[in-house]
Amino acid sequence: MKILVAIKQVASLEDDFEIRADGRDVDPDFLVRDLNEWDEYSLEEAVKIKEAGADVAVVAVSVGPEQADEALRKCLAKGADRAVRVWENAVAGSDSIAIARIVAAVARREKADLIFAGVQSSDHSFASTGTAIAGFLDWPHAAVINQLGYVAGATRAEVRRELEGGVLQLMEIDCPAVLTIQLGINAPRYASLRSIKQAAAKPIETLSLADIGLSSADVGEAGSLSRVRRMYVPAKGRAQMIEGTPAEQAARLAAIIKEFRGAGA
Amino acid sequence: MIDSQNITRTLFEDFRPLAVTLFYGVGFTAIGIFLWGTWIQVRKYRRGTGYAIQGTLAARFGDMVGSVLSHRTVWRRDHAAGGAHGLIFFGFALLFIGTSTITLEFDILQPLFGVRFWYGSFYLWFSLVLDVAGVMLTVGLLYMMYRRGWLKPPKLDYARPDRSPADPDFDRTAYRIEDWAFLWTLLVIAITGFVLEAARLVWLEGRPEVWDFRWWSPAGAVMTYGLQGLGVTAAVAGQLRTGLWWFHGLLALAFIALIPFTKIKHIFTAGASLMFRDPLASQRLPRVPESQAAPGYQYITDLNWKQLLNLDACTKCGKCHEACPARATGAPLSPRDVILSLREFANKSLASGTLPDKAELDIHGKNPGQVAMETLWSCRTCMACVEICPVAVEHVPIIVQMRRKLVESGDMDPLLAKTLQTIHKTGNSFGESKRKRPAWTKSLPFTIKDARKEPVDYLWFVGDYASFDPRNQKVSQTFATLLREAGVDFGLLYEGESNAGNDVRRVGEEGLYEVLADSNVKAMSEATFKRVVTTDPHSYNTIRNEYPDFGGRYEIEHYTTLLRVLLEVGRLKISRPLNYRVTFHDPCHLGRFNKGYEAPREILKLLGCELIEMGRCRANSFCCGAGGGRIWIADPVGVEKPSQNRIREAAVIDGLQVYVVSCPKDLTMFEDALKTTGNEGRFVVRELIELVREAVAVPADVAVALGGE
Repeated sequence: MKILVAIKQVASLEDDFEIRADGRDVDPDFLVRDLNEWDEYSLEEAVKIKEAGADVAVVAVSVGPEQADEALRKCLAKGADRAVRVWENAVAGSDSIAIARIVAAVARREKADLIFAGVQSSDHSFASTGTAIAGFLDWPHAAVINQLGYVAGATRAEVRRELEGGVLQLMEIDCPAVLTIQLGINAPRYASLRSIKQAAAKPIETLSLADIGLSSADVGEAGSLSRVRRMYVPAKGRAQMIEGTPAEQAARLAAIIKEFRGAGA
Repeated sequence: MIDSQNITRTLFEDFRPLAVTLFYGVGFTAIGIFLWGTWIQVRKYRRGTGYAIQGTLAARFGDMVGSVLSHRTVWRRDHAAGGAHGLIFFGFALLFIGTSTITLEFDILQPLFGVRFWYGSFYLWFSLVLDVAGVMLTVGLLYMMYRRGWLKPPKLDYARPDRSPADPDFDRTAYRIEDWAFLWTLLVIAITGFVLEAARLVWLEGRPEVWDFRWWSPAGAVMTYGLQGLGVTAAVAGQLRTGLWWFHGLLALAFIALIPFTKIKHIFTAGASLMFRDPLASQRLPRVPESQAAPGYQYITDLNWKQLLNLDACTKCGKCHEACPARATGAPLSPRDVILSLREFANKSLASGTLPDKAELDIHGKNPGQVAMETLWSCRTCMACVEICPVAVEHVPIIVQMRRKLVESGDMDPLLAKTLQTIHKTGNSFGESKRKRPAWTKSLPFTIKDARKEPVDYLWFVGDYASFDPRNQKVSQTFATLLREAGVDFGLLYEGESNAGNDVRRVGEEGLYEVLADSNVKAMSEATFKRVVTTDPHSYNTIRNEYPDFGGRYEIEHYTTLLRVLLEVGRLKISRPLNYRVTFHDPCHLGRFNKGYEAPREILKLLGCELIEMGRCRANSFCCGAGGGRIWIADPVGVEKPSQNRIREAAVIDGLQVYVVSCPKDLTMFEDALKTTGNEGRFVVRELIELVREAVAVPADVAVALGGE
């Protein structure tokens, strides 16, 4: 069987970053890129199923420019059998739903039996790509899974979902399905530099839109129903540092607390 | 007048020919067993991987002979036991050589060439020397028995921190039995030798060529009075002599036959281990060969032959056990037990003619002979064990090789894994962006040269802690100011510098180390400088000893040697002698690793400080606990940390004012330990750089002088 793991190379901000000239994103010079943390867990979950013994192929899929290969290599180093990346300049500007359309197309081409995605990406936090993939494929989905019972080849998976207020929900889901994986479901393995270097020798398959039966109208701003208008840092709040000796600071803090409590009473 | 030819001992006197034949038969059997056992051991060592002997064989041999004859390594930190061992060693050696001269004449020279020398004055001197040797041996053995039986030093209790009493290999009774059997066997051989000598004298008291020269065997001569006092006649003594002769002889031959199978083998393995020692064992860890399929050691056969030999050289003396900071603070690690576990494992799995399945050669785990990952991760690679081992067992490289396997399979603390990923991503362990590395220079009133853009005399390799840790940044700023005032032409690599990799390598993440070393060597190759200086002993060690393997050959010094010179030649002038009562903590990587003991002490002297040494200083300095990547792994809660143990050691110094360190990690570790041990306010922890700053004049016109450059 084949498990497809949708992964994303996310960006984190350096200190003192700057916004891009067009005001719609952060200047890429100030971004540090890495594999999305959630995806480390979903990949690990797939590799664990593979290591349980059955004949399972784990395919990591990403949508992004060439630099995303680094994240895919990390997946190869951690046990993915193959890595697939889809990109064309037209894809730039895609929203999370358009990205899901691309991943779903890859899933069809790959004849995937199960799809894992992270609950969300740490940079854009839409938390929608995974579930949207299920929509495009017309598959069932379960989100925010923190425990998975699945044996390779089974037609059903038992999942435990994390809900609000510490409530857990046990459910079963028919496969094929899309599952979005929550942090903490497992302990992602460490990819040693040696395994990353060895993974560098493995090919990363790059696909164009035509390869997966899409056109530029399906992706990018044209294929998206939402667009970023502006990205900015709000003006600083009114936080104030309390100066002085520890005793003075404590006294001032106590006074402020009293003031607020008094106001609320 | 007695013919000197008659002043000798007639061998096998009154023996029937059959008895002589029997004796030779037993003798050859013993030698046969010895050779067979030796082959089994050698075959075991040959099952290890290759090892390139460091330096010429002649130099190694000379070094070994020097160590053995001087007994320096045995004597260190345990003079009484070392002295007793010396008595046993030299006594045994003389007895062995002396006895060999009999064989030389009786079995070789006389039958083949008719040459005799074992008579007359040679014989008399032989008797005297061997008697003295026998006394030395006996006294040494008696002291060792007293030590084991009455003194009972804790290092000899064989308590295992890495096993619980329920584990099958917790019990070390077999070792204890062997220890005592070894002592008793030798003692009985020695004492029966003397009684035999006395019995022969009484037996032959009628022969002047024997009796008149009895005082050439003083111990035997004294005992004759005992025998005669007991009413032993010449005839009885003759019978006694025959009985003792066989007992003494068979025991000695049994001893020889048992050498390869018991701790007696250390007679050979210790010498061989010293001979093949790697003088840079821990300063410079080995690279993973391109051809090696998986990094590190997973199987016993992954150890190289010298390391398998190391396992057999260990005499369980416990010096490493005593020196280990992890063991001292209750971690599940004793360097001795790592070696003994692996030895037991090797003896079990590599002794037979065929190798067992791979699975039975796996040395990782909790079964008997295996080493648990908790044990491996407890090591701080401080090198105290390797440094003190009297027989040149090199524990740390084995531990790091085993960690390489753990890293490859991801068996490590999640925090450590996270830090390694961070270092890979950002080039530093603080997870700060590369461009923030030189941020500490911004508050300086002058600009430090960029060695990538203009040539400098000194390239200052700053290192992670001195670059990013706020407390250490202050020290870096102070050092920069001192260099500036002394007119030293220096520069930095700025953003081009990465974590030096010393600790990453000791963690066992060799792939990441290669990336870091290559990156730094490349950055340094693009800069122009004459020498390298660093305030970080960890960076100092790896650049000095390990970068050459990556094509980076630099003259590098730790800041202590540079500051000492600047003070001595007056480029830094002391205006205010400090008069502090201080103690100095030798950083592992400066002291033990690179023998940089003197410069910091000389600086303290120049500053006018009164240095009171801690008990554990110089080569025996006690690790702060941060080494080997342990700074990235949380220590267990509620247990004394090595740094706290150390601060408590310093705290007993009467009137101590300053605990002086010369390593960024030490500053972090000990300032923390000062607080957590409740010693804050009693004394302070200071970088030596800060003391220099305090003592050195700051001319009022320094800004002008600097501007004039």
